[in-house]
Amino acid sequence: MLGALLLFTSGVFPVDSIDNGSHTIDEVVVVSSQSEGRKRSAKGVAASIDEHLSELSHVNLVRRGSYAWEPVVNNMQTERVSTTIDGMKIFYACTDKMDPVTSYVESSNLQIILLNSGLNGNPQSTGNIGGSLDLKLRRAGFGGESFHLNADAGYETNGHLQVYGADASTSSDRFYMNGGVFYRHADNYKEGGGKEVRFSQFQKVNVFGNVGVKLTKQDVVEGTFIFDRANNVGYPALNMDVKKAEAFIGSVAYKRLFDHPVLNTWETKLYYNHITHVMDDTKRPDVEIHMDMPGKSWTSGLYSLLSASKGVHEAQLNYDLYYNRLFADMTMYPGGAAPMYMITWPDVGTLNTGVALTDAISLPHQQSLHLSAKVAVQWQKLNSEEGYHALRVFFPGMKDAYQQTTGRVGASYAWSPAHWDFSLGTGWGSRAPTVTEAYGYYLNNTFDQYDYIGNPRLKNESAVELNGAAKWHPHPRFNIGVDANAFFFSNYIIGEFEDRLSPMTVDAEGVKVYGNIDHATIVNTSLKTEWQALPWLSWHTSLNYSIGKDAEGDPLPLILPLAYASSLHCQLSTINCRLTVRGNARQVRYGKKYGETETPAYAIVNLNADNTFSILKTRMTLRAGVENLFDKAYSTYSDWCNIPQKGRNVYVNLNVSL
Amino acid sequence: MYMKKVLGLFLVLVAGLVSCNSNDDENGITIDGITITDDVDCCSAEEALQVYRFLQGVSIIPELSVEVDGKYNVYAYSKTGSLHTGYNELYFVATKKISGNYVKNFEVKNITPLMYMTQMNMSHSTPVSAGVESFNDGYLAVKRGWVSFLMNSSENGSWTISYDVDVLGSTGGTGNVNITVDALPDGQEWLKTFKVGDEVYVLSLVNPTDWQTGTNAIQAYVSKKSQPITTPYALATERFTIEIDPRMPDMGNHTSPDNVALTRQEDGSYVGRVNLTMTGLWRIHLTVKDAEGNIVAGGDDLKDGLSSLYWDVTI
Repeated sequence: MLGALLLFTSGVFPVDSIDNGSHTIDEVVVVSSQSEGRKRSAKGVAASIDEHLSELSHVNLVRRGSYAWEPVVNNMQTERVSTTIDGMKIFYACTDKMDPVTSYVESSNLQIILLNSGLNGNPQSTGNIGGSLDLKLRRAGFGGESFHLNADAGYETNGHLQVYGADASTSSDRFYMNGGVFYRHADNYKEGGGKEVRFSQFQKVNVFGNVGVKLTKQDVVEGTFIFDRANNVGYPALNMDVKKAEAFIGSVAYKRLFDHPVLNTWETKLYYNHITHVMDDTKRPDVEIHMDMPGKSWTSGLYSLLSASKGVHEAQLNYDLYYNRLFADMTMYPGGAAPMYMITWPDVGTLNTGVALTDAISLPHQQSLHLSAKVAVQWQKLNSEEGYHALRVFFPGMKDAYQQTTGRVGASYAWSPAHWDFSLGTGWGSRAPTVTEAYGYYLNNTFDQYDYIGNPRLKNESAVELNGAAKWHPHPRFNIGVDANAFFFSNYIIGEFEDRLSPMTVDAEGVKVYGNIDHATIVNTSLKTEWQALPWLSWHTSLNYSIGKDAEGDPLPLILPLAYASSLHCQLSTINCRLTVRGNARQVRYGKKYGETETPAYAIVNLNADNTFSILKTRMTLRAGVENLFDKAYSTYSDWCNIPQKGRNVYVNLNVSL
Repeated sequence: MYMKKVLGLFLVLVAGLVSCNSNDDENGITIDGITITDDVDCCSAEEALQVYRFLQGVSIIPELSVEVDGKYNVYAYSKTGSLHTGYNELYFVATKKISGNYVKNFEVKNITPLMYMTQMNMSHSTPVSAGVESFNDGYLAVKRGWVSFLMNSSENGSWTISYDVDVLGSTGGTGNVNITVDALPDGQEWLKTFKVGDEVYVLSLVNPTDWQTGTNAIQAYVSKKSQPITTPYALATERFTIEIDPRMPDMGNHTSPDNVALTRQEDGSYVGRVNLTMTGLWRIHLTVKDAEGNIVAGGDDLKDGLSSLYWDVTI
């Protein structure tokens, strides 16, 4: 992992040099010409970020519509997961989580998505109990092709999804520049059986650019920007849609490449991003009270990462600092009467700074040790007087400023004797409550039909993680592995029913206030096999099972039931094809106490193929496939309010590269 | 607004007449239209400035001005310069005509509002404050009182009001002056009545427009209908407790926690605490209990479980 970051940030093609030996890391290649043997979506670049994310082990996605799915790592949602874009902090702007930050990038922006499972996060991550995702931007890099052009077009029958993208790059030893545009449009999709899922449309446009200049052999300056805008996004699982979700993401970085026995690189990046999110209920029928719910998030920060190696050590020292501002309000318009106004995120300013240290130590006899630690301090201030006074109704003694200190330490050990890979890891980490958990104000949750109020008196949540993995590969053509991790939480933060309070949302069940429950446990296990039966045919299977329970032993909500996948891959000349069966068993343990309903079992079959060929020096990749071949009507445990998944979907897309 | 301008013009005129700058004071305080002298009856420069600044925030009710003995002017103000149904705070200042400066101490008495009801050919009064008092230690020269109008002026009836003054031994009064009492806009009902036996009580909610989202002090007066009814209604001497249940009718009767019932204070007002979770229309359902804790009004829990006695406040 260390090497990966290092090489990547030097602008050299990094993808294949990532050490994938440790079980704590996974990755999915989004765009790369050198990705043999790497995970990637069957749809290639035309796949959405969400589809790319779903390729990662340990990752599941909460769907509220056909756009902007929320990544869940080790059965933990956004609160317990760090998401960074090339190390940059970015925070979503919607109080209803309609815009996980992964929705503000596009496939063509990215080279690779790195996942660090559990507490062993990337250096910039904070609060990553469940894991950390780092979306690595796709830079042309120095010394590449002098000119490269890339175009994508895709179509999917279900929902008439159209995808168009084009980008170009130029590169020399001293300079590179790349940029492009991407556009997606989808109408309502149909569930299995052909019924239309209303309000599941979306439209998105994305523009990006990267530039790098090598000032001297050792000094590099890089800049990047992304502008992303989604319009008219439907959320069938929610009561409203999105009129506009817009982000500007920009950074400037200076990198020093050392020619030194110990120091390798030193990168310092300054960044800024701004998100505007505007919800819209005007297209919904039977809206009792029309409301406006805009949200804003902006973040400015920096990190400075020094990489060094000496002997068996490869170390990284990172300092980071960011300031984030979150504001959201809500205006309701009852017919005829005065509008009702409230501030739902009281313009919270968070200043966070931290220092992280990691060391990867190579030991004799195929052993290695990875150590990481981070400590971070944050100060929060409620800048909206009105929002602060409103919260004081519920917490009369609260202040308008808070300070928290969080940290994490992790250690993992790996040993790879002949035909075996073993690893063991442990860690401890804590996180501060999120703005929603600490200061959110009457945020309606359609999952359990409660209004949620934040609690400024929350304690930090912490967890101890234990993990282990074993893989047996007696033959290059066969391997089998098991992997398990367990998180033992203290002061687990979750909404608790408060019968003293009256809901704001008409038809809501009641009000929940975030609280710390004494302890909770999440355990994830998986089994994987791979068998190259014939030179052109391989068989892959996986089995996953997770358990989550609260202090009383009752199931936590949104925990993966028994899930399986089995696929046959065949490779005939330049044609790859894959037949996949995947499904979930019935969700036996579900968080009834937390408003979750049981999800029945399902299984679906997907079929896909791709072929890469060249015509007149132009490299083309044609991909086609059928998802949900038998048009099964189903929804998964992570489909918000059990909204149905897509029915049969035939897709075809073409990538042209010259 | 218009009256403010008139007052400003008036003050400028006074300044012109006395042809004397008001900056002849050691602190260098200058106030338009006011000459600071060492007149012991009048405000010092600092006091006059405080009063002047306070008056910038309220508006004059021109019809309620009165000249006393040719030496003094008494002016009456309200927040907006107009009057409306329910509780209205009134402020009075007296000035010496010769200097324009505010008289430190004076008396306003016998505030007497009267409604003449055309169809029934009868008159009645309405709740008023026991007297007027200095606004507070900072505004000694500003006197404050209140009138709570039972109804607005309309073709069914019209209001007059009168009051008497005593400025440094000179007495005078307005006589009955016609005034207009505006109706409150929709979503505002700040005055309610209830009956206990043969007695009629009036609940006047004080200045709810000052409320904001969050925790607010809620203040009210309980007045008792007089006999004869043309006498201004004085504060009831009984000791009630007024329990409140604030609700948002447009939000499925959403409510807020930790509201505190209004109880009688030493000055005769009732004070409690109301929590408002957002802006909009709040219906504050009331349950009035007597000193023994018996419900005497409201608290009747109609089919929605809420009292039929309520104030409406839109913030």
